[in-house]
Amino acid sequence: MLYPEIVIAGCGNPLFADDGFGPAVIEEMQNLSLPDNVMIVDAGLGGPHFIFTLLDPEVTRKLIIVDLADFGAEPGTITKLHVEDLPPGAYRDAHSWDLAEPLQRIKDQIEVTIIGCQPAKVTFPEFELGISEEVQNAIPKTIRVILETIGVDYGTTRQYLQEEERQRGTAESCGSTEIR
Amino acid sequence: MSKVVEISPTTRHEGHSKLVLKVNDAGIIETGNWCSITPVRGVEKLAVGKTPEQVPKIASRVCGICPIAHTIAATEAMEASIKCEIPKDALMLRHILQLANRCHSIALHDILILPDFYIPGTETKINPFTPEEPVRSVAKRIQRLREISQTIGQISGGEAIHPSNTRVGGMYRNCSQQAKVKMYDLAKEGLTLAHQQAEFMIAVIRAYHKRDFVDVGGMKVALPKTLGFHDQGYLATHAFYGSSSLDECPSWNPDRFKEARPWDWYMGEMTVDLEEPRYPIGGTTKVGTKVNPQMEACTGIPMYDGQPVEVGPRARLVTYKSFDEKGTLGQNVAREMEYQDCFYEMIDCIDALNPNGKVVADFIPDGDGSLGWATNEAPRGCDAHMARVKDWKVQYFSMLVPTTWNFATCSKALEGAPWQLAEVIMRGYDPCVSCATHMIVLDEDNKLVAQKLIQ
Repeated sequence: MLYPEIVIAGCGNPLFADDGFGPAVIEEMQNLSLPDNVMIVDAGLGGPHFIFTLLDPEVTRKLIIVDLADFGAEPGTITKLHVEDLPPGAYRDAHSWDLAEPLQRIKDQIEVTIIGCQPAKVTFPEFELGISEEVQNAIPKTIRVILETIGVDYGTTRQYLQEEERQRGTAESCGSTEIR
Repeated sequence: MSKVVEISPTTRHEGHSKLVLKVNDAGIIETGNWCSITPVRGVEKLAVGKTPEQVPKIASRVCGICPIAHTIAATEAMEASIKCEIPKDALMLRHILQLANRCHSIALHDILILPDFYIPGTETKINPFTPEEPVRSVAKRIQRLREISQTIGQISGGEAIHPSNTRVGGMYRNCSQQAKVKMYDLAKEGLTLAHQQAEFMIAVIRAYHKRDFVDVGGMKVALPKTLGFHDQGYLATHAFYGSSSLDECPSWNPDRFKEARPWDWYMGEMTVDLEEPRYPIGGTTKVGTKVNPQMEACTGIPMYDGQPVEVGPRARLVTYKSFDEKGTLGQNVAREMEYQDCFYEMIDCIDALNPNGKVVADFIPDGDGSLGWATNEAPRGCDAHMARVKDWKVQYFSMLVPTTWNFATCSKALEGAPWQLAEVIMRGYDPCVSCATHMIVLDEDNKLVAQKLIQ
């Protein structure tokens, strides 16, 4: 099967400043050692059609989406949402087959959690690289929340991770789930 | 007296676009404008000064459907500029990756166009989501084909969506022997399914185009035998992959390419004076709405030898395999005909791949600022990237994506068709109107949400 029991997908486009939050979280998580049944994916813009429509409910139990959410809080604040909280049209398959939303189709069989971060700036339609400081600072907390949600407890903070990284002395990732 | 009708947004394809149509009393399109309303700007500017390693990553983020084609084309444009030849095994991995992307895309496109068609021999339109046979097994087959292609892409490209394995000078890593065997097994399974899928689709497509009348939102519409015909010519650079050398492929010469501005091409300001609430998904735009394709269109009009051309599966088949069917019928059939060939080609490439071979060039020059270009035959047509690299810095970068070519060509192809079928013609091009940002925007009355804030 393409996707395992737990899928963590970082959505967003790094070309629009803070919209790169999801992929940035995934990049950071690639340094972690995760159980075999967890897959982290940099979904970029392809989440709705490459992941949400390809999940097999008999295998996948949990889907965690990391993305931006504008809910009027301070930039860098994060929140946990469920499919019911989403406004209509969120994660509509860009292909808009029948204007149905893939998450609505799978939510009864797969537990979907969305971790949203309030952006400081999204530059659409102009391209700009780089995430703002507030959102950058939200990454460690986001990872903690994700680990909590999937029940992996390393007692981790980002500082701890970095210390461990130094001790290992190598930046080679061991959490990669890709097939090689 | 001609009337103006607007379909906005168009559905069942990638991105946001709209159709502005000037129709006569019988509802036949006199002038059709299909334009992108997704603004995406500045990739050229953003790329300048970056390293050639970064720019393909940036290019990959322009679209969520075709990151693979963009990554490969941008990487090869860099390589063409610095004049770096990559090892054969790296090229094979890229071939496999690219074909996997194509196989996924065809399956996806099948789902998107199926609701236009009828179950052969009946008056029932196909709903791909119905649990009833015969549609159910087709939907399952499509899903399996998507899974197979995505897995092969993930193995050869490193990641499932935005491939991380390609680099300037080749690939980061070759795959293992086991991974090669796995890709081979998957490709063999895919080949059988692709045969079945193509046969089914071609039967359904042909049955549709043999009809005299079709149903669109309860309207009975006469189906012309020349649906989607145009005489704009074709452009393809390779039967499967692409090219970055004029010696290898004389069919794409950057010197013969010019770009017209949208305001020289599209219609000017008009007022909608025909409205059809029965049109599927919310009806067409209300009477009295002002439309101005000239100003709203977000893409330029690329011209090859002075006119827009068609790119895509039919262009490839016409150029390399003497295919001669025209119109929307020809386009959809051509796409299905490519399906099995893709898997055959993929199996050949996997056979040729040596998992112990090197995949990075021995010497990667820094570049002297000469113009390099690379084309990649993306699922929906020729994706051409151009670049200048000097001293390991990008000085110039430009992307010419497939659907940009097809916007103008399709606008021409709309002429003479009933306006209700404009979207059918448009979908034949498998358009990918560039992607935008993604953000969830919640309404202000989100007290519930606020309580769930993580402190």
